[in-house]
Amino acid sequence: MPRPGALRFGAALSTVAFVAAACTGVPSGPSSAADPSAGADGGGEATGALRFLVEAPEDPAQLDPLREQITVFEGENPGITVELEAVPLDTLRTTLQPQLRSGEGPDVFNWGSGPAFGGAFAEAGLLYDLTDAYEQYEWPIYGFAKDQVTFDGKIMGVPGEMETIGLYYNVDLFKELGIDEPTTLEELTAAADTVKEAGIIPIAVHDAEGWQGGHLLSMALSSRVGGEGMEALLNGEASWDSPDVVAALQTWQDFNEAGYLPPTPTGVDYDTGNSLFFSGEAAMLPNGSWLVNDIPGVDFEVGYIPFPAPDGPGIFTAGLGSGPYISANTEHPEAALEFVNYLVSSEYGRFMVEELTVIPPFPVDTDDLEISPLYAQVLEDTSSFAGGEGEFGANIDVRSTELFNEAMWNGVQGILTGQMTPEEAAQAMEAAPVE
Amino acid sequence: MASTDSGPAVTRRAQARLGIALVAPAAILVLLFFILPLANAMYFAVIRFDGVNPNPPFVGLANFTQMLGDPVVWRALGNNAIWIAIGTAAPLLMGLVIALLLWNVGRGSLWYRVAFFIPFILPGVAIGVVWGWIYDPIRGWLNEVLRMVGLGEATTGWLGNPDTALYAVIATAVWASVGFAIVVFLAALQSVDADLIDAATIDGAGAVQRTRHVVLPQIMPIFLMVATVTLIGGFSVFDIIFVMTGGGPAGATEVLGTYAYSNAFQFNRISYGTALALLITILAVPFTIGLNRLQRRMSLYRTGA
Repeated sequence: MPRPGALRFGAALSTVAFVAAACTGVPSGPSSAADPSAGADGGGEATGALRFLVEAPEDPAQLDPLREQITVFEGENPGITVELEAVPLDTLRTTLQPQLRSGEGPDVFNWGSGPAFGGAFAEAGLLYDLTDAYEQYEWPIYGFAKDQVTFDGKIMGVPGEMETIGLYYNVDLFKELGIDEPTTLEELTAAADTVKEAGIIPIAVHDAEGWQGGHLLSMALSSRVGGEGMEALLNGEASWDSPDVVAALQTWQDFNEAGYLPPTPTGVDYDTGNSLFFSGEAAMLPNGSWLVNDIPGVDFEVGYIPFPAPDGPGIFTAGLGSGPYISANTEHPEAALEFVNYLVSSEYGRFMVEELTVIPPFPVDTDDLEISPLYAQVLEDTSSFAGGEGEFGANIDVRSTELFNEAMWNGVQGILTGQMTPEEAAQAMEAAPVE
Repeated sequence: MASTDSGPAVTRRAQARLGIALVAPAAILVLLFFILPLANAMYFAVIRFDGVNPNPPFVGLANFTQMLGDPVVWRALGNNAIWIAIGTAAPLLMGLVIALLLWNVGRGSLWYRVAFFIPFILPGVAIGVVWGWIYDPIRGWLNEVLRMVGLGEATTGWLGNPDTALYAVIATAVWASVGFAIVVFLAALQSVDADLIDAATIDGAGAVQRTRHVVLPQIMPIFLMVATVTLIGGFSVFDIIFVMTGGGPAGATEVLGTYAYSNAFQFNRISYGTALALLITILAVPFTIGLNRLQRRMSLYRTGA
């Protein structure tokens, strides 16, 4: 019989061991449901499922069409299985980088383009170089979109769906009040006056979350300075405290002071702002092409125009959503390339248009698709300027760094609450560190 | 053999070993989850680390001097000060008053206690989200009620109005934390000597005088404990502000906690964010020590609860 002291010591020690084990357990990644695939796979590759990580949509059922597409892909490519994982955006933002670094990350994942998103990952060496793949597969991605995933001369990903920002307006209400579609800033102001007199909120601006400020500035500024002007600003060739930027910011301040916006727009959040427009309490809504999904539910005709310029109809601003990248540490590069190839195919493009109602970053034949007229118009406008037939502006926040975005978002909120003048906001943006 | 298991070992060494063995689990937890992260934080605070670079350069106290010159930090400190002042005083006073009122309630006091305590156990994020809806300027319950009772002019953007945003969030936080004070004070009041109160009543002391001179001194240590906990919370407050306003509009509700978060996780300025978090700790320590000393002095001096 061991001595009592030793027994107690042993008990304490095992308690410590249990506690230590509980605290330092191996992080359990999502378990691979698929067994190593039966049958041969492309020469010498590790067996196992391809992990595809995307942002979880608000309604989980929206992932079902994607799963069906994956099944189609698996059918056309026996030997490759794809495991879809969806994670909320906030979680994705904080856990994706550590996952990729640790080597336990996904093989293919959706992520944003531009320096703050794809660029940051490229710098950290987490992305698989796709330059050769582009040549080999001849992916027909629009030039400007491809630029957004090119870092250091290498194409490191596939851009996401295209998004434009503009002004939705209630066509029926406009007709009722005898207003024509505004084609200049002056006409927009006059229209807003008429709407206000009728007791309706002219423009349902929502800026509670803050990021909308970037869109408000992007649309007003893009129309004012044009596509080249935006590029000059984003490249650093023009400065952010120039008169045009101040004027664009001033426009929103003027609108706020004239009472065209809801009371305290910085207290109105995204959903409430949209609901004001959908319920007819507001006549216009600055928002993006992604909203086309939700429009069919309303009972009035909806128009979508670019934010007008002082001297003309203005241009749409374009940005990119999240597109697929391949992890540098993937153990299945061949399978991953095949999968990404599928995500850029015209078959998948038609799926994107019809089921996901987004605009693919490559041309898609939409003649025989069942989509709403507004959506068809948006698609047509977008592909014509993306294909090079027209000018388009830039959605600033996907092209700039987090620090700049913070200055911009705070600037617009500051202007709308009277805490800052447009000049101060512009200066804060110019002063924001680039790194 | 029989003599060795006839009772607990009483040698000094055996006792010491037993003591160490029993304390070891807790000590290891403290080491793993407090000492090591603190040391790590102090390391991060003296380098420039952006989350990516495997060889971050040593920069000494540059992060701290940057803090002193950063206007956002001073504004955040101001907001923290407001939060601490109102967010400590309000739950303490309201908690005390309600606890005193509930003290003599016999029947149904359990229901009251549960009702007052439930907000405290709700998750901070849920509270933030739902109160955000209440404060919504257009559809929110608060403005609707104000309009209904004819106070339409008092409606404002609440969380979107830089003048009211911080106070609106504080109001929500006070709502959530007053239950804790009530329940703790009620427990403390159980051990107040009823005879002393009767004696004071006979001597002609009014309710306020009784409370101030008879009841309060007897619950002073508990009162100070609740004050300490609430006060420290005011330095490190983060979740409710983050959920309700994110520090906005335009930094009107920015506090050290939210600013540290933005720096560390949004701007990839891990070192600066860590330095800010350390600042929170550094600021909170003197208050903790001071209140602790006061509490000990009070419990020695008066009949402590």
